[in-house]
Amino acid sequence: MLQTLGLEYHYQHGKKIVFPEIEIDRGQRLLISGFSGCGKTTLLSLIAGALKLQVGDIKFDGQDYSSMSSLLLDRLRANHIGYIFQTLNLIPFLSVSENIGLGIRFSQSRKSRVGNLNQEINRLVDSLGLDKEVLNTPVNRLSVGQQQRVAAARALLGKPDLILADEPTSALDSDTTKKFLNEVMETFDASKQAIIMVSHDASIAPYFDSVIDFNKHYA
Amino acid sequence: MLSLLLKSMRSRIIPTSLVTISLMASMVLLLSIERIQQGAEEGFNQSISGVDAIIGPRSSSLELVLYTVFHLGRPTNNITTKTIDDVKQRSDISWLVPIALGDSHRGYRVVATEPNYFKHIRYGNNQPLTFSKGVPFAELSEATLGSDVAEKLNYSVGSEIQITHGSIESLGSKHDDFSFKVTGVLNKTGTPIDQAVFLDLKGYELLHLGWKSGKKVFSLEDIDLSSLPPDALNPKTVTAAFVGLKSKLTIFNFSKNIREYPEEAISAIIPGIALSELWSIVGLVDKGFQLLSWIIIAISLIAMVTLIIASLDNRKQEMTIYRANGASPKFLAAMVIYESLLIGLVAIIGAIILVTAVTYFATNQLNLALGVSPSFKWISLNEIKVFSIILLSGVLSGLIPAAMVFRKNLHQALS
Repeated sequence: MLQTLGLEYHYQHGKKIVFPEIEIDRGQRLLISGFSGCGKTTLLSLIAGALKLQVGDIKFDGQDYSSMSSLLLDRLRANHIGYIFQTLNLIPFLSVSENIGLGIRFSQSRKSRVGNLNQEINRLVDSLGLDKEVLNTPVNRLSVGQQQRVAAARALLGKPDLILADEPTSALDSDTTKKFLNEVMETFDASKQAIIMVSHDASIAPYFDSVIDFNKHYA
Repeated sequence: MLSLLLKSMRSRIIPTSLVTISLMASMVLLLSIERIQQGAEEGFNQSISGVDAIIGPRSSSLELVLYTVFHLGRPTNNITTKTIDDVKQRSDISWLVPIALGDSHRGYRVVATEPNYFKHIRYGNNQPLTFSKGVPFAELSEATLGSDVAEKLNYSVGSEIQITHGSIESLGSKHDDFSFKVTGVLNKTGTPIDQAVFLDLKGYELLHLGWKSGKKVFSLEDIDLSSLPPDALNPKTVTAAFVGLKSKLTIFNFSKNIREYPEEAISAIIPGIALSELWSIVGLVDKGFQLLSWIIIAISLIAMVTLIIASLDNRKQEMTIYRANGASPKFLAAMVIYESLLIGLVAIIGAIILVTAVTYFATNQLNLALGVSPSFKWISLNEIKVFSIILLSGVLSGLIPAAMVFRKNLHQALS
């Protein structure tokens, strides 16, 4: 489904990162771990099409990122990728269900995979351990842990082919981290989806099929 | 999209309201200037109404309108009452009111005329003259006052006044041998009528019985007024005459015939045309208003663009999240355009309602307090054009933060 080919990234301050090759298919769960600042989020942004390629290429279901405009990449992301941002990026004045609904608002193909939107949001909220009573609550009234689950539900809605999760557990304690990962992995559809998660916390490795450790890659 | 937009605007209710109120204040200022400008021009052009022609000694139309309508300057010649009587015989005339000018009372010009002046002469949009107190003069010893004269000099019905010969009060210039009793005070018109003292033509003639070449020869107290022959007080000359025609279509023919009157050099002017000519000369005021309007438009535009850019700056994060979730540039641009349009429309409609309500309900008070009558109307074509320019500028300025979202690296914006 997704393959990176000779990816390199040169930062403005002069630092250069050569990324390891990645190949992932539907049903696979990949963890990328490593110290802070090693380029994990940059790699995720390149895969999401949020950052322009400099050297190398990415293929997604046969499409080359290098030949696509930023608008086409925006479209590809909307239709095929669910992104759980490190900074959550929820809209504070919208309710929980409206924030979750944003995940498919701009994608016809993801919309078509959702029969009844309210039912699907209820299912996701339920499986991610959120109380249904919070659905109409403005999102800024929730705890960080609850907001993390809303961000995850938004990324999972409409069953995107690839889920990218950027340090989704960084603000959670170890118990909540375990609970959250259990819930995400249960919601994850192994027959249709793949997941790439980046984290500096190597202890969550058992939840994944494979792990790329950037610390070892750069050693 | 509208629901998202309204929720977004509600979350920024204070800055959004401040932008809308600031814009509305600019629009109110702009509309007020426009309405006062038009009101001034309309008021000027409607200084006299219901009069089809003014007959006077042959001179320029501006000169004639200045001293007959605005009571400014001095007539250089008079016309004889024989000429006036001849003109009165014309079959195309409906009515004729002669006036004699020259004297004054404590700085206010005296207009000697006939009582039917108050029946035929109108002002503004064909509004008749009405009395706040009393009735028009009926006797030669009676006077009627314009509203400003009565108010400033604290006169009322029953007050006695004396007239000054000429327009400047000086030693020996007063007609102190005869007094006039005030019988009525006119309602305010916002025209030069408010600043005039009206006397009967015969009373005016009586005042000048003892005067020759601008000097008093004998006092009226020295003669027995009851012994005067009946036609002694019929004026020999008048300054001008206001004319109403049976049909306005005959005005050009009437004017031509008057110019060709063989026995005296007289002319007839059409007041509307003469007033427009005069306005174009004193139109520096008009140009000043226009300049002021354009300065306000420019300031409004700069203020609006600045305010919208400043208020939308904090929307960049919101728009970035929409983009990260796949929103198209068209969607983001539409969100910003609709917001700018909504703010602009609310400001414009609010300003129109406010200014129209003030001009509708407070015109009389504004006129009484400031002598200004703003023009009453909902919106003019010119105002629609100006508002369209302002709206378009608001929309274009709103696109700046939207463009900034697309120019900025999504990776940086989201992290």
